Amino acid sequence: MHQARYGVSGASVKGDRKMFTLIKREIEDHIAYFLGAVILSSTLVVLSVWAAYNYKNEPPVYSVGLSIPVIMILVIGFPAIGVSQMSTDRNRKISAFLSALPVTRGRVLIARIITGILAILTVLVPLTITAMVLWQLLVPPIPIIYPLIYPCPIFDMFVTALLMAFACYCLGLLTGWASSKATTTLAGLGLTFVLIPLVAVKGFGLHTTVILVLFIIASLIRVWQKFMSTPL
Amino acid sequence: MNENVIEVENLVKYFDGRCVLDGINLEVPRGCIYGLLGRNASGKTTIIRILLGLEPPTRGQTFLLGVESTSLSAKVHGRIGYVAEGHNLIQNYTAGRLAKLCKDLSLHWNDKLFEHLTEIFHLPMDRRIGQLSIGMRAQLNLSLALAIEPELLILDDPTLGLDTVARRQFLELAIDLIGQQGRTILFSSHILSDVERIADRIGILAGGKLAVDCALEELKNRVKKFRLIFPESAPENLYLTEIVNREIEGREIVMTVANWNQQKQDMLETFKPSSCTELPMSLEDIFIECTRPDTVLAAHL
Repeated sequence: MHQARYGVSGASVKGDRKMFTLIKREIEDHIAYFLGAVILSSTLVVLSVWAAYNYKNEPPVYSVGLSIPVIMILVIGFPAIGVSQMSTDRNRKISAFLSALPVTRGRVLIARIITGILAILTVLVPLTITAMVLWQLLVPPIPIIYPLIYPCPIFDMFVTALLMAFACYCLGLLTGWASSKATTTLAGLGLTFVLIPLVAVKGFGLHTTVILVLFIIASLIRVWQKFMSTPL
Repeated sequence: MNENVIEVENLVKYFDGRCVLDGINLEVPRGCIYGLLGRNASGKTTIIRILLGLEPPTRGQTFLLGVESTSLSAKVHGRIGYVAEGHNLIQNYTAGRLAKLCKDLSLHWNDKLFEHLTEIFHLPMDRRIGQLSIGMRAQLNLSLALAIEPELLILDDPTLGLDTVARRQFLELAIDLIGQQGRTILFSSHILSDVERIADRIGILAGGKLAVDCALEELKNRVKKFRLIFPESAPENLYLTEIVNREIEGREIVMTVANWNQQKQDMLETFKPSSCTELPMSLEDIFIECTRPDTVLAAHL
């Protein structure tokens, strides 16, 4: 009846287009975090280049000076994105609204996690590229320690930082979705402060990667289970 | 075609140890406008949320369009329009942005119908949802639900917050919509006159059970209210089966009886009332009788 009267312009939408719409929505809703990530990343790149040329002969000062803000971002920034995504959803009942549309809860969560990964990459990729360029320019050639695993130590560092950031982000997702925020925040912070010394003690490499991957899998399973089973 | 679009089988739901739904069975055939009634906290919204898979049942099963609610796919959701109680729209979005989001995520979207509805309702598409009045939010929610041209439309108290004119417009639209072949509406409301106007089947929830589940006309025929006046004082021993309510005052008895028939009429005449007048009962009167705490109507219908 309406079709005859009004005409129909709608068409069926493919799943990947819907996923793109969901990711776009997440990015737009958390644009402040992306802008923050770009600003931080740019600042760190400038600082790295400046420090690399000004403290050429003092590598400890250079590395310690840079690692502190990076760790701070890992511990505070990335969990904050996860918390913000989930608590905004909970407070504004976004998933409840989206679930009434042709979108499954699983897709909403996957889109959210992809957005989180994009935010992490926004910070880490420029830093890694800068570090690789500086490494090539300033560090004399050294033998590659793990030729079968990673082509160079910078890549080791990037993988560890990415996994670490993602693990912290997953803790943020869990905290944001939990009804008792205080307990989950404390538990999340506790776990984060276990992960940082772990990386400090074990260093960058296969062992740390395996531990972080296992931690991430466990966190993601918990997030998935909590998100899918909570009444909306 | 008598295919059931909605099926509820022995549905039980507990909240914090409190039984809200106690063994509900319900079937809504294709093309039916089903009015779900009940007092506050009687479980109307809970049934709808369980049907849509937003809330897990404690026991029992529910099906929408032949698919179990707990495993509704995106495709099935695309055939269902839903107007939630309280109109949970994303508050910080503008109406236009929300409409764009719904359009991008829908399987089917009728632009012209949506524009037509927003014009009828005079909806400002550039304003944030949080700045819209409750009535405007209800209208926007309804427009979004109708724009996907759903096979099944679930309306959870949709006229809440609408003024009389907007309510009338909404009802006209709903009636227009049902004219489309195969379209089904599940309609829950507190405004009984609305339900009476559009529903062709009624379910009344009382005490966690579906006390009434029948066609509206059938319900009106089955429940009768009489005023009996006797020459002397009214008899104390006037017993009929399935008396729902009885009030005695001097020579007068006002009583409501379920499943009225000739046998009951004959029985009543043996008490020789000097007059027996049938009092008209609206859906609201029947609803009040059904949902009284001490009512026995549920057992009789």
